[in-house]
Amino acid sequence: MEQTEQSMPNVSEEKGNLSASKRRAEIRRRKLLMNSEERMKRITSCNKGDAAGHALNSEQHSEPRVPVQLDKPESLTSSGLSKRLTVYSDEDTKTTAGLTNHQGHLDDFQGTPICDSRNSMGDVLDGNNDSPGELRIRPRSEMSIDGTQRSPRRGLHQYLSRFDEAMNLRTQLINEKPAPESSPGNEELDAFRIFRLMGSVILAVVVRMFVCKYLCIFAPFLTLQLAYMGLYKYFPKGEKKIKTTVLTAALLLSGIPSEVINRSMDTYSKMGDVFTDLCVYFFTFIITHEMLVILGSETPS
Amino acid sequence: MAESCAWLLVLGSVLLCNIVKALLPSVSSFLCRVLQKDAEQETQMRFEIQCMRQELATISMMDEFARYARLERKINKMTDKLKTHVKSRTAQLAKIKWVVNIVFYVLQATLMISLIWKYYADPVTVVPSKWIAPLERLVAFPSGIAGGVGITCWLVVCNKVVALLLQAFG
Repeated sequence: MEQTEQSMPNVSEEKGNLSASKRRAEIRRRKLLMNSEERMKRITSCNKGDAAGHALNSEQHSEPRVPVQLDKPESLTSSGLSKRLTVYSDEDTKTTAGLTNHQGHLDDFQGTPICDSRNSMGDVLDGNNDSPGELRIRPRSEMSIDGTQRSPRRGLHQYLSRFDEAMNLRTQLINEKPAPESSPGNEELDAFRIFRLMGSVILAVVVRMFVCKYLCIFAPFLTLQLAYMGLYKYFPKGEKKIKTTVLTAALLLSGIPSEVINRSMDTYSKMGDVFTDLCVYFFTFIITHEMLVILGSETPS
Repeated sequence: MAESCAWLLVLGSVLLCNIVKALLPSVSSFLCRVLQKDAEQETQMRFEIQCMRQELATISMMDEFARYARLERKINKMTDKLKTHVKSRTAQLAKIKWVVNIVFYVLQATLMISLIWKYYADPVTVVPSKWIAPLERLVAFPSGIAGGVGITCWLVVCNKVVALLLQAFG
């Protein structure tokens, strides 16, 4: 009987040893089998779960009245991890190992393993946490955590969309031929533009011949501009090439809506057109005047 | 007469500047051709490389490996030499263009400053002041003579019109 009594604990010890060794062997085997990608997946999935799980854990252990203190380690871990992930995402397994080490450090810092936190979250969700107060508080804290995570994400999305826009503009700028510096208004001379210029020239000659004795020369010009504004809609509108300059890109990147920029550019181009008309009008007027003076047909009074 | 032709002088200067500016690339390339006399050597090298490549194509690599390798090495050497040559020539070309541009802009600036200096106090042309009634001060700037057309205003107008003309006919 003594022998049997002695043999029973030995068997149990052996079983225990066996099970322990088996467990260790299993863990080792799993570690060996797991390649870097799986590890990375595991880390990332745990990281996602960790955000909520850890918050809930921290809720369990601390009061919800001090959310700032709760958020600190959370923000620390999530930001640190996300940074690491983005930095090391394209690198090889070596860096992945580094990441896991880092994860390990973070776990030490938190005091709970990553997947444990997940399990604890599962426990909480399963209803291990019986207090109804906890259940009521949880969504609020989750919301606050979501809020802290969403705002940088939204900012990131905004930044990325703007970056895409900037890249598109850049490609457009590259595809466009570089405009020569000499011609500031390098737009094509369309029908309406030619009409405007011709009208200004004719008006200048007519004004010098007949009108200027009685009226200031700018009055007919302003009238002509008003007429152009009315006539604008009757002319065929060619496809306006949207000019993408560095200024436009800079304004777009600084958050000004493209509609506002387009309107401003449109107004600016109209002002430029009026100025060009004025220059042509004045030039023609002076040339005509000088010609008349040289020819001696008329002397200025 | 000299005073009455001031507007024409300014207009002529602006026109000349704009025309020269439009012709700057041609001027630079002409200067490059004049200054760089080793372009023929480059052409010769290109021709030689082409000949050697043709010869290489006729040689069987397996039958005459030594000859093939020798010729290939020769081609590589010549190509490297040509590359270096082209690189230095391109750098020289860019330098010449830069110098030509700088000289032109300096000359243009000098011309404009001298014109403004000369006609600072005198208007380039005079019209009755009531013709340009509300803007006579602006138009007369910097001469300050009522009814006069100042050099700045005339320069701006001339530049705009000449640019338009060159755009239309250029």
